[in-house]
Amino acid sequence: MAGVLVFGDTVGGELTPVSLEVATAGAGLADALGESLLGALIGDDLAVATREFRGGFSSLYLVEDKHYRPYTAQAYLNAAQKVIEACSPSVVLFAHTLGTREWVPRLAAHLDTGLVMDCTVLAAEGKDLVVTKPVYGGGILGEFVVRGGPRMATVRSAVFDPSSAAVATEVVRLDVPVPAPGRVTFVDEATVAAAGGLKLKDAKIIVSGGRGLGGKDNWHFIEETAAALGAAVGCSRPVVDSGWVPSSHQVGLSGTCVTPDLYIAVGISGAVQHLAGISAAKTVIAINMDREADIFTRANYGVVGDFREVLPAFVERIKQLRS
Amino acid sequence: MNILVTLKQVANPDISPSHIQLDPAGKRIVSPFGIPPVMNGYDANALEEALRLREKHGGKVTALGLGDDTSRESLKCAIAMGADTAILINDPDLLNADSAGVGRALAAAIRKIDDFDLILCGRQASDTDGGQVLHWIAETLDLPAVSPIVRIEAVDGRHLTVHRLIEDGYQRLRVELPALLGVSSEINEPRFPTMRGTMAAGRAMIPGWKASDLGLQPFTPKVELRQLQIQLRTSKADLIEGNSAAEQGAALANKLHDLGLI
Ligand SMILES: Cc1cc2nc3c(=O)[nH]c(=O)nc-3n(C[C@H](O)[C@H](O)[C@H](O)COP(=O)(O)OP(=O)(O)OC[C@H]3O[C@@H](n4cnc5c(N)ncnc54)[C@H](O)[C@@H]3O)c2cc1C
Repeated sequence: MAGVLVFGDTVGGELTPVSLEVATAGAGLADALGESLLGALIGDDLAVATREFRGGFSSLYLVEDKHYRPYTAQAYLNAAQKVIEACSPSVVLFAHTLGTREWVPRLAAHLDTGLVMDCTVLAAEGKDLVVTKPVYGGGILGEFVVRGGPRMATVRSAVFDPSSAAVATEVVRLDVPVPAPGRVTFVDEATVAAAGGLKLKDAKIIVSGGRGLGGKDNWHFIEETAAALGAAVGCSRPVVDSGWVPSSHQVGLSGTCVTPDLYIAVGISGAVQHLAGISAAKTVIAINMDREADIFTRANYGVVGDFREVLPAFVERIKQLRS
Repeated sequence: MNILVTLKQVANPDISPSHIQLDPAGKRIVSPFGIPPVMNGYDANALEEALRLREKHGGKVTALGLGDDTSRESLKCAIAMGADTAILINDPDLLNADSAGVGRALAAAIRKIDDFDLILCGRQASDTDGGQVLHWIAETLDLPAVSPIVRIEAVDGRHLTVHRLIEDGYQRLRVELPALLGVSSEINEPRFPTMRGTMAAGRAMIPGWKASDLGLQPFTPKVELRQLQIQLRTSKADLIEGNSAAEQGAALANKLHDLGLI
């Protein structure tokens, strides 16, 4: 067994940015282990993704079929297993996504091997894979030695720089028959359009609201502020759990890790699980009534005050400055 | 429908990093004095969903935990919320097991219980943030597993229709029973224990099973924890001052403008 295999992540055939970040993590490990770097993509309509998946891979394995859209765990698990059989890597890396959180642990169990998910540091010590993963919501870092063959890890987004290495010179297509739908069958998919059409992941500015907003009736404060700034709307978990906005807006450990230049947190206390999602935000602003709130330990600038008074004045001044 | 719910007891996830404590070896999170451990939040959601399914479709709900003796508290709480029975695997040899070891032990216990249509687990534990144990259970028992679930829409005969979270919405899946679901917090708001439940919990006998009761072979961990390290934040934001909240708001806009951020 040799080689570091990196699975790219695609949504609807498009390569997601985190794929290139995992490629960087993989390249570092391959270097340290003195092993080759391999890439793999599973999905439908992968022509563009194949050209975009930079990483300096010596070979890129493709499992392409219309049955890989929509995603189902069983199909991805099966395809990944075939790729692993084809190249017997010593280490396999994946992006940490809602999909991999489901099928990669099952793959690890199936292969009876070691896996750590949501890693932020990956290192080789001799032939050992040693990873760091935030635990307890991010308040504690855990260092783990991963054993087994192959040793596996999923990589948190917005931690590694995207790879700009060359695309693979050799593409190996694997013909994997898609298993008949088993005990889980896909019915349909419902997507919720993001407010203003802005997705959290790509946003340069995010205005995020928390439980401190007090109720759905006050959510317009966040929406108006976001609209004035051309920003995407984010939120903390209680806001989703209370049904004020759909899950796709949630920032944090169990939501999205975001990478904006500017993140404005309103009525958010700054729990570690929320901060886990904004570690890559460049400038963080906190608006909170409680001077002692933990969010002020992460924020670069803060306003101690009631959002109902702070935000309208803020929005008005923004509009003046922008006109 | 007979439902098994896996329950982990964890240090309260709301303790801020400055108050978390580790054991001397730096391998375990210790609950600080006066802040008792709690039932893992997602497991509480799983239990709540199980109770709701039982209310609609009959059957019984069994809570299954793995941990030290203090973990009985969470299992008692499960009974106080309405679970019919609870079982604890409390073998010291299993306390340091990795996800594979814990998953296999729970799977072995589930085999021994042998009477279930559905297993509900929390999508992950809030102390380790691992998210693997449920899949090791499903693999060991050869069950379909779907996660994270935000809604169980329908139950018809031997099938469930569930909503599984995706990046920008959800997918609807039809799952054949027996099956395992990983539950996310959007699904429900867990109930509080009732007085009657609390009395039942007081009387309840919670058996403690050992690895040998489960016929478990010694295992070599696949993942070894080297050490934990608390992350302390000490920095402090620059506060924008003003004579009123409105003045502060306008000053903040000016600041962002000066910084070239907007
Ligand atoms: C396993 C796990 C995963 C989790 N994942 C996530 C996640 O992905 N994302 C996430 O966000 N959370 C997550 N959480 C939840 C997290 O622990 C916190 O409970 C949550 O982030 C708190 O949300 P909040 O800050 O909005 O609410 P609170 O902590 O209640 O804070 C509300 C804040 O609003 C302020 N406030 C109140 N009124 C006003 C006002 N009028 N004006 C200004 N400020 C006001 C208060 O001072 C307070 O600081 C997770 C928890 C667990 C256990």
